[in-house]
Amino acid sequence: MKWFNILRDRIRALRQRETVINDIDREMRLHLEMQVDANVRAGMSPAEAREKAMRSFGNLNRAVDAAYDVKGGGVFETLAQDIRYGVRMLAKHKAFTSIAVITLALGIGANTAIFSVVNELLLQPLPYRDAERITTVWEVTPEGRHQNTTSRTNFRAWRDQNTSFQNMAAFTDQRLNLTGTGEPEELSVQLATPELFKILGVEPLLGRTFLADDDKADQPPVAVLSYGLWQRRFGGQANVIGAPITLNSETFTIIGVMPPNFQFHIKQRSGTGRPAELWSILSMPAGGAANQRGRFLGTVARLKDGVTVDQAAAELRTIHARLSDEAPQFNKNYTAEVLPLREQFFGNVRRPLWLMLGAVGFVLLIACANVANLLLSLATSREKEIAVRAALGARRTRIVRQLLTESVLLALLGSVIGLGFAWLGIKALVAISPRDLISLPTVGLNFTVLGWTLGVSLLTGIIFGLAPALHVSRLNLNDSLKDGGKSESGQASGSRKLRSALVVSEIALAVVLLCSAGLLIRSFMRLQQVDRGFTTDNVLTMVIRLPAARYKEDPQLVQFFSQTLERVRQLPTVRSAGIVNFLPLYGGLGSNTGFKILGQPEAPPGQGPSTDVRVADSGYFGTLGIPLLRGRNFSDSEQREAKHVILINEALARKHFPNGDPIGQRLDVQMFESPTPAEIIGIVGNVRYDSLVDEAPPAVYFPHPDLAYPFMTLVVRTDGDPTAIAPAIQREIRALDPNQPVSDVRTMNQVMSEWVARSRFNTLLLGLFAGLATLLSAVGIFGVMNYSVALRTRELGLRLAVGAQPRQVLLLVMRQGLGLTVVGVVLGLAAAFALTRLLSGLLFGVAAVDVTTFASISILLVIVSLLACYLPARRAMRIDPLSALRYE
Amino acid sequence: MPKDKADLLQGTLDMLILRSLSVGELHGYGVIQRIRQLSDEMLHVEQGSLYPALYRIEQKGWVSSRWDVHETGREAKFYKLTRAGRKQLETEEASWDRLCLAIAKVRQAT
Repeated sequence: MKWFNILRDRIRALRQRETVINDIDREMRLHLEMQVDANVRAGMSPAEAREKAMRSFGNLNRAVDAAYDVKGGGVFETLAQDIRYGVRMLAKHKAFTSIAVITLALGIGANTAIFSVVNELLLQPLPYRDAERITTVWEVTPEGRHQNTTSRTNFRAWRDQNTSFQNMAAFTDQRLNLTGTGEPEELSVQLATPELFKILGVEPLLGRTFLADDDKADQPPVAVLSYGLWQRRFGGQANVIGAPITLNSETFTIIGVMPPNFQFHIKQRSGTGRPAELWSILSMPAGGAANQRGRFLGTVARLKDGVTVDQAAAELRTIHARLSDEAPQFNKNYTAEVLPLREQFFGNVRRPLWLMLGAVGFVLLIACANVANLLLSLATSREKEIAVRAALGARRTRIVRQLLTESVLLALLGSVIGLGFAWLGIKALVAISPRDLISLPTVGLNFTVLGWTLGVSLLTGIIFGLAPALHVSRLNLNDSLKDGGKSESGQASGSRKLRSALVVSEIALAVVLLCSAGLLIRSFMRLQQVDRGFTTDNVLTMVIRLPAARYKEDPQLVQFFSQTLERVRQLPTVRSAGIVNFLPLYGGLGSNTGFKILGQPEAPPGQGPSTDVRVADSGYFGTLGIPLLRGRNFSDSEQREAKHVILINEALARKHFPNGDPIGQRLDVQMFESPTPAEIIGIVGNVRYDSLVDEAPPAVYFPHPDLAYPFMTLVVRTDGDPTAIAPAIQREIRALDPNQPVSDVRTMNQVMSEWVARSRFNTLLLGLFAGLATLLSAVGIFGVMNYSVALRTRELGLRLAVGAQPRQVLLLVMRQGLGLTVVGVVLGLAAAFALTRLLSGLLFGVAAVDVTTFASISILLVIVSLLACYLPARRAMRIDPLSALRYE
Repeated sequence: MPKDKADLLQGTLDMLILRSLSVGELHGYGVIQRIRQLSDEMLHVEQGSLYPALYRIEQKGWVSSRWDVHETGREAKFYKLTRAGRKQLETEEASWDRLCLAIAKVRQAT
């Protein structure tokens, strides 16, 4: 009620200012008349009565104003007045205004840019219906590997036994060759059980998505197109529904087209590394012919209402424990996990993003400290003006409000220009970020982001404005009126303390940022220097997948790749060429397979040794510079011999043959239907296949002709630029099979660089912010020292006049600056010790508290601040004693 | 000059205004006169204090106002105690009494 009355009065006062004031005025005048009447009745003459009444009333206008203030009009009117006054003040101090606005714009711009990404990735709802009810489900391996794909058998058990989920769908990504009209092309295809689209809750743009019956064996195979594929291959024509499409020489019927922004791509577990362009049915035959135990399925599910992720996860773990009892040879020590979809998509970027937001927050704080310092200098020179206003009766709150209005105005100006910076910044971020980090085209300035910016700038305006405003409003009127704030009075010394505190905090913040950036830079360098086990220069790679429909027999596969290699080796500038199924750093596809060492006792199920298995030819090792440590390489004779041979890596040799000689020993790697012992003929160097960060696990190489594989990566080492040879290689392949596309044509250096892209991006960004922070704090130190020298002109002049050497004055000033810097650095280091722990997940080969980094950062900052102090110090040194003494 | 400010404790003005209105509707001038009469000419409230206080009290919902014709034939704005105002008056007077009693006790003790 009370609030309502106040609000009503204020709104009325604002909208009907005249009415309200007239009302008050009328009431007051009538009051006056009554007083006059009373005076006349008391026996005065009318003139005397009026005069006395007027005198006792005081200033009628002021009374009306005071009353109007209560009615609430004052708030808005004062605001308008303050804004007018503030604008005039800012226009008058152009240099101050532009420096302050640019500083703020940098801080606010950086904040807005980073926030827009955070908003899009971490705060906006995902583009699926009730996305917070959607989860993925994975296995966790006995080795603790998370997000492991599951098998048909296990998926079926999950789906049929759970009570937590409305629906559950399995999916897997594959590349299929599209032929027919136009160039042959390799498509990224998502095969899924029919429930997929129901779970995601996305409607098609045209036609329909899968129906429950679509996976029946007697149904013709169906395909749903992505918007992009529809536009690219079918010209966006509506009559595409019902048309045939040929994939791996099999005919599918197009039943629908998805809307442009639809995507369901789980990069970490995608066998294609690319978002799908086409969806088709993943058949789930129960028979013995299909692969029932191979782990290759991703699972997505929709929770029932009221069921939490934790409850669902607990239930799935129970189901999985049962599976482990039923089939220990496959499931012993495996368990299940449930991830909310947002965690699945952005779990790995969440921490870096919040860190970046924190970092830009620090930059903004430094900018605020700088502007506060500028405002303090300005306020000190405005002391007289403010003292006059106070003397004329302005209350303290009124003055503080005026000064705060000015600072908020500054902040708003800063945010307008900052939005410009942010717009450029977002463009740059999207351009330089790794594709999988900010792939969303929707990242940009929207209302949420604008709201954030507005909030941030109002807040900053108050943060940097409050200290100076409170400080100035506490001025001693007499002192200020007397000397106009020229000398270093007691007041100015208070201001000096405040400014010193501001500079110290700036330096401390900059130290924290620089330490974090320094750690990232060091770990990035470590990542580059790590012994990855292969060389990257002058190597071109490309992927070839032979469709099963045309290459039915193993000899066909072998022949195709052998002929390709033969032809490629004949090409000019080619030094060597080889093939391997999965390149180093290709993605998390290292197939962990159990094996037995012949002649050694057998381990219980689920606890035997396991190894990474690759298929390569003899040319692969030389081309990638992987050394042969012992024994011999594969030779062409393997093709003709009946016995199987393998190469092992050093890690396997060390782990499983610590004392004996592995060469000549035989391993049974469980890749085949029946036991197939293979003889170790040589040991090659370790290669970091899965990641540069982890040590290479044990690995076994089967020779290409022995283990035919439809999926191979060609590696070619050339003289000079390897990309130049790509067209020639593609021509050779087309000559062998005109319907055979290649994909992922990249140099090995590109593969490397894409792998470290995220690390590079984080490093670059944090480095940039740290640089900005350093620059801003250098400006801060410069400003404070410069101002301090100006205030001390007289004192320094006096020192010079009584015989101080200019050098001594220089040192005096430098020492003052150095003192502030050292305090700031010490505080910053303390904060860095506490905060860099947050970086630990992003670091490689360097501890979160790294003495070398921290020490070099401290030295760097001391040097920077000495440079920033040097100019004011030189100015102090050159003070002319005579004019300094006359100054006043 | 601002006698009321010097002599009146913070917050007592509101109580006096409410008390003066407790017997019936009054205009602003009437409030001042009533307080003066009731205090045997000892308390004089300035217009400069009265009106802001009246408006504040009105916003709090303790009094309501309306324009009407005065007995002299002139127009005036009349203020009237609301139910909430009456309750507020009781609260304030009770706490005032407690304060006076407490002060009296302290003074008698010494």
